[in-house]
Amino acid sequence: MVNDNRRSILSEIIRKKECYLLLLPTFLLLLTFNYYPALSAIYHSLFEWDGANFIRFIGLGNFINLLFHDPTIPLSFLNTLRITIASLLINLTFPLLAASLIFHLRNLRYAYFYRVLFVIPMVVPAMVIFMIWRFIYSPTTGLLNQLLRTIGLEHLTRPWLGDFDLALYAVIFVGFPWVAGTSTLIYLAGFQNIPPELLDAVAIDGASTWTRFWKIELPLIMGQIKLIVILTLIGSIQGFVNIMVMTNGGPGEATMVPGLYLYRNAMYYNKMGYACAIGTFLFLIIIVLTYLNLKYLRSGIEYQA
Amino acid sequence: MNKDLKHDFLIHIILIILGILTFYPFAFTIITSFKDNFQFIHNFWGITLPLHFSNYTDAWSRISRYILNSGIVTTISAFGVLAVASISAFVFARFNFPGREFLFLCILSLLMIPGILTLVPAFLLVKRLGLLNTYWVLILPYISGGQVFAIFILRSFIASLPEELFEAARVDGATTLKSFFNIAIPLSKPILVTVAIMNVLGTWNDYVWPLVTIPDGRMWTITVGIVSFSSQYGGLEMWGPMFAGYVIASIPLIVLFFFTMRYFIAGLTSGALKV
Repeated sequence: MVNDNRRSILSEIIRKKECYLLLLPTFLLLLTFNYYPALSAIYHSLFEWDGANFIRFIGLGNFINLLFHDPTIPLSFLNTLRITIASLLINLTFPLLAASLIFHLRNLRYAYFYRVLFVIPMVVPAMVIFMIWRFIYSPTTGLLNQLLRTIGLEHLTRPWLGDFDLALYAVIFVGFPWVAGTSTLIYLAGFQNIPPELLDAVAIDGASTWTRFWKIELPLIMGQIKLIVILTLIGSIQGFVNIMVMTNGGPGEATMVPGLYLYRNAMYYNKMGYACAIGTFLFLIIIVLTYLNLKYLRSGIEYQA
Repeated sequence: MNKDLKHDFLIHIILIILGILTFYPFAFTIITSFKDNFQFIHNFWGITLPLHFSNYTDAWSRISRYILNSGIVTTISAFGVLAVASISAFVFARFNFPGREFLFLCILSLLMIPGILTLVPAFLLVKRLGLLNTYWVLILPYISGGQVFAIFILRSFIASLPEELFEAARVDGATTLKSFFNIAIPLSKPILVTVAIMNVLGTWNDYVWPLVTIPDGRMWTITVGIVSFSSQYGGLEMWGPMFAGYVIASIPLIVLFFFTMRYFIAGLTSGALKV
């Protein structure tokens, strides 16, 4: 019986061989450039490894180092925590305000106009935006210091990205007022999915704008909020390009983040095993956060509905 | 109409303020891109005449190569993703075969793996393969990574097409490939454009991978090139050409945007769903 089953599955596989043949390019690429590197990273996190000839198994040595002996790790994770909290606050307020305003415009042509307007900056390469902001913060000719001088606040001028206490916040502030991003579009999609009858009913009841927002709209766009929370978390935990090109972790290690530290270990210090361990650690954090987020915020929606 | 305007008035004010704050840095960039250093120093805020178009020829001579490289890599990658992903999505959507669910889950699980995890082994792999400093070192991983989300989106779209169409083709004796090229592809055109644009955005903006795999300055992409260009021109205090370079680097995607606005917005939002 079991044998029969096996034979029929086998004959089915042979009969459908064309399907597998057509999937071959996809899986060959994925095996080479995705599965293999991911497994290799996790495997090599258990080794001391220079990426070439020297390789030595050290068990959880890298992780013990990372958790208890490397002062840069807590510092960089603290920075990530700051960035994450700030990004969450930013992404849950400004884009939501913009989307809500656009949605409540009665004139639909203007609503469309603003939507397109706030999409355009997204088309500008992120790197160009970082470069423009690097200029804005530059000490002598920078726009921010020039502005302070022009309005007579000369004493407030400083090298923003070179200031130990302010550099991280300067990087976080990039893109102010943060309304031209994917978040605005996602919120807007959420608002547009609210049944119009519901809003009409609330209008007839004479509810204030605030009540309408808190009692009706917010619960109904919970799905979008959850999505933005996940995206922001994942983005701030592994992102480091903005830091890399604006401060390169400096001054000192004031703006160091785990992603950049991983990059340094791999590319500058040749500590490939340690870099893989940092990567694996970040991967685990992301999985846990995604899981918690799905679980916690999903029950939130059910409760609200 | 008048009542609407009264209702909308406050909203307009806030949105206009947000708009001005958002666009001011770009406006400043464009204004400064036409200045020479004398104008930059003596009239930092204002628009100055004459406009120095030579800043643009200056910047262009330096970054045109990067734009060309990015253009080649981005175009080939986007078509590669469409080719590989559409056929796989078609197979997943329209055929039943042993292991279908399992194989699809294998692909989906990749959405969870952060790029930072694979960076080091992927770099060592392409180094061993001798691909450093070639277009392939960018194109192949971009196709491989880009197809994951593309398959995800295309599969659900192709699965929603009516079965009768494919049934009729089968009765007429059409082969799998024929029904793929004659039915699935023509009907999926809009979603294919969206997927392509999503890919273009990701590829054009990628920084770390080309930085690591392309040591040779002549092969740099625009992201890597613009950082080096920016440091060099900023260091030389060539502000006008520096900002002209930023404008030039932004033009290709802006042009693409204006030709494909509808698909572009769809692509931006669906790109966000990449959890």
